[in-house]
Amino acid sequence: MTGIHGLDEILRGGIPYGSTVLAAGTCGSGKTTLGMEFLVRGALAGEACAHFTATEPSVKLLENIRQYAFFDMNMVDSGLINVFDMDVLYSWLGLEKASFDLDDVHALIKSIVDIVNTIGVTRLVIDSVTTLCYKIKSEQLIRDFLFTLGKKLATLGCTTILISEITSATENAHWSSFGVEEAIADGIIVMGDSERMGHLLRFLQVVKMRGTSHSRAKHAIELTPLGVMLIPMLKWGASADKTSRWGQ
Amino acid sequence: MKMFELDQQIAEQLTQVSLGSSIQVRMSATNSFAVTASTMIPLMQMFEMGGVYISASRGAVEIIQAFESIGVDVSGIQFLDLVSSGVLGGTDVPYSNITFVDSPIMLESILLRTLYTLRTVSSARNFVFLDSVNALAIYNDDRMLAEYLHTFINTFRQREVLSVMLNVPDQTPPLVLANLDTYCTDLIDRGQVVLL
Repeated sequence: MTGIHGLDEILRGGIPYGSTVLAAGTCGSGKTTLGMEFLVRGALAGEACAHFTATEPSVKLLENIRQYAFFDMNMVDSGLINVFDMDVLYSWLGLEKASFDLDDVHALIKSIVDIVNTIGVTRLVIDSVTTLCYKIKSEQLIRDFLFTLGKKLATLGCTTILISEITSATENAHWSSFGVEEAIADGIIVMGDSERMGHLLRFLQVVKMRGTSHSRAKHAIELTPLGVMLIPMLKWGASADKTSRWGQ
Repeated sequence: MKMFELDQQIAEQLTQVSLGSSIQVRMSATNSFAVTASTMIPLMQMFEMGGVYISASRGAVEIIQAFESIGVDVSGIQFLDLVSSGVLGGTDVPYSNITFVDSPIMLESILLRTLYTLRTVSSARNFVFLDSVNALAIYNDDRMLAEYLHTFINTFRQREVLSVMLNVPDQTPPLVLANLDTYCTDLIDRGQVVLL
């Protein structure tokens, strides 16, 4: 069970233990909030959680997430939720460079896996894998990086959400920026906006989740202080809405 | 304070409904507040219910002040205002029990905000007032609105929340009206149907 209201229902139980899930979405679609709630629900159940932030400094991330009533800063203070800045990690590893080669990628994987192993992390979020992969120039290397990372984390029993940024410019890449992320993922959750008469309506859709008989319907979501809430989108509404940004 | 005479027949009819009921309240364009108040006051005062009032016909402030003018305190009711965001400065209001939704076309958002609000209220027994179906019909396609009301009714019935849908029938598309007639469990009829 993810513990996220409505999502477990869509997934008919939750994300299978040890899965690597790609949460792909446009900006402002709620990816970071979903990822953070996934960790909070885990922490509330006593699980050790980790968040690797590459898109914004951890201070800013925590400041933004504090507005949500479901988040409690004590979870960070007590070590149940561990937030790591990727820039700090790069600095530790001597990876302050524009692009990574094979050795750099292996060093990065090893450091993430070591952290997960040391803390005993069972829920992990990397926000975002897109920002991280920008430093890896070869498509093959990106594939190797994600595949190896996912496999090692699964072996450790860690359920991972890889947040992926997609824009209208990446419609042809489907659910990821580099076109390889979705291939290695056990699950794909797509988040975006539908435009209805000039208004944007957030939606979430589970495209794939290995080991579950999940719903594939588009769901409207609301980011409330109590967390993410979902209901199925109106069928007649979906037919009237403009094509959503991630491309259909 | 204005004098207000409660429609006792409505209060009497309300004794027959249960928490899982869905009531269609038909009113006319001229008696809408009298019918609304006659439905809501007994639920609040006799049955000690709380809940959510979704205002699509007028801004929530206007509705709250109309209740205040007859001496009824509605500070325990949470208002979801679908009108005032469309009016520049309309959301700068002195009431803390009002939440704004951008537009009456955001039907799923309205339902999600209502469900969220119900999770935050302290009352054990709750209602959801939808004011009104005909106002939503101004902005929404008939089929979509019919689908929405079907979802709306079933969502609250499943959660044992009394749903009350105010409606001026001669301003409501036939398909939507037919849906209400089919899926609502009760009808309070104070409306006038104009046959063309």
